[in-house]
Amino acid sequence: MGGFRESLKQAVRQIAFRTDLNSLKKQGIEQVSVLGMDRIVGLIEEAVHRSLKSRLVGLEREAVADATKAEFLRLLRTNQDLQREKSEVERLKERAEEEIDQLRRQLGADKQALEQRLQSDSLSSQARYEGENTRLVERVRELLSSAGPGAGAALQEQVLDLVFQTVDKERRSAEHARSALRDREVDNLQRRIEKLTSSLETTEHRLRQVAAMKNIDDGISSIYREVQGLNDGSEQFGKKKDLMSAIFAANLRLQKKTGSTNGN
Amino acid sequence: MSQNDKQGTGAPDTPSKNHGVLYIGMDLGTSRTSVSASNGVRETVYSVVGYPKDVVSKKLLKKDVLFGKEAIERRLSLKVYKPLEKGVLKYSGAGGMTDQEKDNLKAAQDLIGEAIRLARPRKDELVYCVIGAPAEASMKNKEAIIEAARAHVDSVMLCSEPFSVAYGLDWLEDVLVIDIGAGTTDLCRMHGTMPEDADQVMYEIAGDSVDAELSRLIRETCPGAQFSDVMVKDIKERYSFLGETGERVVVELPVNGKPTPFDLTDQIRKACSVLIDPIVEGISKLVATFDPEFQSRLKNRVLLAGGGSMIKGLDTAIEKAMRERLGGGKVIRIEEPIYGGSNGALKIAHDMPEEFWEKLK
Repeated sequence: MGGFRESLKQAVRQIAFRTDLNSLKKQGIEQVSVLGMDRIVGLIEEAVHRSLKSRLVGLEREAVADATKAEFLRLLRTNQDLQREKSEVERLKERAEEEIDQLRRQLGADKQALEQRLQSDSLSSQARYEGENTRLVERVRELLSSAGPGAGAALQEQVLDLVFQTVDKERRSAEHARSALRDREVDNLQRRIEKLTSSLETTEHRLRQVAAMKNIDDGISSIYREVQGLNDGSEQFGKKKDLMSAIFAANLRLQKKTGSTNGN
Repeated sequence: MSQNDKQGTGAPDTPSKNHGVLYIGMDLGTSRTSVSASNGVRETVYSVVGYPKDVVSKKLLKKDVLFGKEAIERRLSLKVYKPLEKGVLKYSGAGGMTDQEKDNLKAAQDLIGEAIRLARPRKDELVYCVIGAPAEASMKNKEAIIEAARAHVDSVMLCSEPFSVAYGLDWLEDVLVIDIGAGTTDLCRMHGTMPEDADQVMYEIAGDSVDAELSRLIRETCPGAQFSDVMVKDIKERYSFLGETGERVVVELPVNGKPTPFDLTDQIRKACSVLIDPIVEGISKLVATFDPEFQSRLKNRVLLAGGGSMIKGLDTAIEKAMRERLGGGKVIRIEEPIYGGSNGALKIAHDMPEEFWEKLK
């Protein structure tokens, strides 16, 4: 009996909801009456016993009491299983959310690295070429001026053209080699981003599935195992029986009509 | 306790079953839809359905459809439907439905599905549902409700709303039920048999009329006050009363963005009083056409139900008006106005014999 009382207490605790005084105030509740757990459990037990006492006798009462306890414990077990499943689903959800966060961070970092790389490559090439050109011009001018005043401006231009042609050729081949290397790097980064994006989509899909799983509700069992129907001993049995027949007849007419409309 | 119930207790010679039978009673109302089920679940949801306006809001809300309070709170991102109006579906059922009618029908179907989901049925149980439908609902309307429910339950029946309230309380004879909803106020007298047309009166003055009157009065008497329909409904649900009140009702409403207190005591009282005349007129009509021998008994057994019955002092105000016009009367407010209809429907579901359920599958 003590175990049963404890289970009853646990059940009451599980179905109770927590709230705070501010929420109650918002609902316009100024005062609350507090009822202790033992008192609630006592009241439930007393109500069940009184009900059984007034309706049943002897062995039948015992059988009903035992069956009720068994059913209660079954429901409690079901509830505990559901709680466990719920925690597991919540754990999966948290893990998936963490994974998504991590993937998003990594993806962000890689995209930024790629952009920086592309930008810095283009800027540094430009700066390098400008520097080299300036140095070349200075060196050719120095060379020609050291050759004496006889060397004309036309010759100076010719020499410079020749030098630039040669240098450009060299640069193109060097650039070609550099860009092949850079393309490989960029390509790697792009592939990596693509893969991360796909991983992110998969994980997000999994998260949606987990979230949907969380919403799967096994429901709550009805207190009835069988269809009930009007009890012969109930108050105003005759009247109620007629009323049930009248409701049924009206619904039969309605639903036959619905069926024929749908059939058309 | 019925025979079947006894079998279900697990007596040694009875094979135990893994599945059971879940009965659901539903009160499909203009403002709220309530369900009571034989697994102990009782839930109510505002009869409001919202669908995301576009892909962006769908992505943000992460849902295809929202119901009740959530739909009201997120209404700016939603296409909102209130599928019932004046107690019935906004759906004529006539050929060539308009797009709006189609959308309303879909919203009504989704709402019924949500109400049944709220009852948390197990997949392995038979689900039998009785829905309290307005007495005045058209045949097409009733068919639409049946079709919507069939997708979610094994068998379904409709019954008149005021009747289900009386049945739930075992008051089957010489009772006059007043069911004040948002869209309609239905009066129905019970005399031990199924109520006929002559036993029922319906007025389109109900909770929504109180809201409209309160809005009008606030607009007239509170210069600059800004408010919405939702705010007015909240004020009504929190403070509505008739007769005398100990405290003044002071409500803050924004004026040019600044919360400003307004004393709405008189406005609320006046708005609520719009219900009295039609109710007393309906009572007079139903009493006057009743068997004279039982008229006095009927007057003294007036049951007040529905969300509108939560107005403080309404029962006393009706009694006062009955004294003046009918020489007296006794009005009893049911204990659970929100669940009175669904509890009654649940009881009907429970009492319905198995063969009837089977034939309607």
